[in-house]
Amino acid sequence: MNQIEELKRKNRRNTAVIAFLVIAMAVLAIGCLFVGSADMSVSDALKALFGGGSDAQSRIIWRIRIPRVLAAIIAGAGLSVAGLVMQTTLNNAMASPSTLGVSNAAVFGANLSIIVFAGGFLTTGNNLKSFDVGANPYATSVLAFGFSVASVLLILGLCTVRSFSPNVVVLAGMAISSVWTAATTVLQFFATDVGLSAAVVWSFGDLGRASYEKDGIMFAVVLAGTVFFMLMAWKYNALLSGEATAKTMGVHVEGLRFVSLLLASLITAVCVSFLGVIGFVGIICPHVTKKLLGQDHRVTIPVSCLMGSLLLLLADTLSRSLGSGTALPVGAITSLLGAPFFIAIIFGRKGNHGSC
Amino acid sequence: MLKVENLCFSYGSRAEAVLNGASMELKQGEIGILLGKNGSGKTTLFKNILGIEKPQSGNIFFEGEDLLKMNRRQRARRIAYVPQHIHFGDLTVFDSVLMGRVSYFGMKASREDYEAVERILADMQLLDFANRSAEALSGGEKQKIAIARAMAQEPKLMVFDEPTGNLDIANEQLIIEEAKKLAREKNISILSSLHDFNQALYFGDRFFFMKDGAVKYAGGKEIVTEEVIRDVFDAPVQIRQIDGQKVILNVF
Repeated sequence: MNQIEELKRKNRRNTAVIAFLVIAMAVLAIGCLFVGSADMSVSDALKALFGGGSDAQSRIIWRIRIPRVLAAIIAGAGLSVAGLVMQTTLNNAMASPSTLGVSNAAVFGANLSIIVFAGGFLTTGNNLKSFDVGANPYATSVLAFGFSVASVLLILGLCTVRSFSPNVVVLAGMAISSVWTAATTVLQFFATDVGLSAAVVWSFGDLGRASYEKDGIMFAVVLAGTVFFMLMAWKYNALLSGEATAKTMGVHVEGLRFVSLLLASLITAVCVSFLGVIGFVGIICPHVTKKLLGQDHRVTIPVSCLMGSLLLLLADTLSRSLGSGTALPVGAITSLLGAPFFIAIIFGRKGNHGSC
Repeated sequence: MLKVENLCFSYGSRAEAVLNGASMELKQGEIGILLGKNGSGKTTLFKNILGIEKPQSGNIFFEGEDLLKMNRRQRARRIAYVPQHIHFGDLTVFDSVLMGRVSYFGMKASREDYEAVERILADMQLLDFANRSAEALSGGEKQKIAIARAMAQEPKLMVFDEPTGNLDIANEQLIIEEAKKLAREKNISILSSLHDFNQALYFGDRFFFMKDGAVKYAGGKEIVTEEVIRDVFDAPVQIRQIDGQKVILNVF
């Protein structure tokens, strides 16, 4: 019975880890409200938060910083859990949220929106008449999202008809990613300087684009996906025994893989379309979680979410405090911050059994 | 209880047939041993019975019901698999065995599922391992955990793919004894592939010799003869009687 008691202790420890991460995230999120390019003291920020302070200050807190912090929490969680699910369902440690070409397709869609509809495609200078298309905050996101969803459906459709083995999915994803990248290059080649720079800046992930509406949409998609993933936690665990064995335990592996890839890609598509490309969160956070706490998806799904939120919050705070007056691209910070930590973890901890 | 009729299967529509009209029958509580050369279709026959692959033609009946029409969950509650290469991720032994019950609980294990696992672990003297990482155990221990996981499915038939393939002699004996005990005490049928004839003779009640994707000879111990083995394996052996038991010797 001793061992059973110990098991219960382990479960309690996992609950404690989750509670700790939630508290850490809350503290960091509140701390983030006081950091930014605007020269605002902590007391001013507090005043603005509780309804006092000047109009400008309360606008900064309520319309800029809070939506931004929420975006970091939501997108971080979404990208991280999407990466975890991709890695499990494709049985591939290198799978990421954009393995099915989601990010590259989104970048192409955004480039199309910015360069063709606003940047003056095939004319000289800016086509100012249609600039308001690009100025509409949703036009670029909608095109980016449309192309990423089309990309995902194309791959999943092909795989359903032909073969749904993990390697085929990964290779098809690589192939289609390079198609989008090539198409983007062609677009950029014909772009004006203004269009080109706008398009390139778009592709740097930036949480400054967040708004309550966008946060709301992202939250709905991330929540729906995560709830589904949590419900499937035991089935993902079964996949750790190998695809064939999982089938004999009663898991409908093909269906699970299809829905999981679709949801993970949708989460990624929404986040990337609204915020730009934020790389590496979806690789680092799930792996760090697995290295520290093992592979049980009942634990790794919530903890990956929290790790992703934490990393993105931290990266965004740094990006705003390092860039004196402007925010550095958060995508660059996540990699700069995460990669060394990641390397330390993968080389540092106990053996390497079950690496993905 | 298990009746396989005229099963045909190939990997891909243009590939050569791996199963070519395979038929066999196994009774409740019987231990059936599949023997045959590498590539004769043993593993593929298992995969079709287990629902990992779907046959192009033929029938499989399980206690009179059409197995090919059952969904995976229904099938998992009848037939469990102990694969040759065993992985558990890095779940604990307890969780690895609990996983065998996923076809019953689906999303969240209930108190009954936990109790069933505790019972199985106690029965198989594995309680001391409950909190260990299953992946880090030795080959024989992992095999035992895989049997416990299969037991958690409460199956009527257990399929073993080369259960002693990666084990030393002590663990070989342990696993064979364990499996035989289950079959006798719980009236569970077993279907297993084995390479070692003497192990097969000790373990099995019925023998199925596979050649070119079909079961060429089937029957009790009496069909294990020098002629049959020479025909199926293209290899000469000699059979001796030692203490009233058949012993098969390699001839080099």
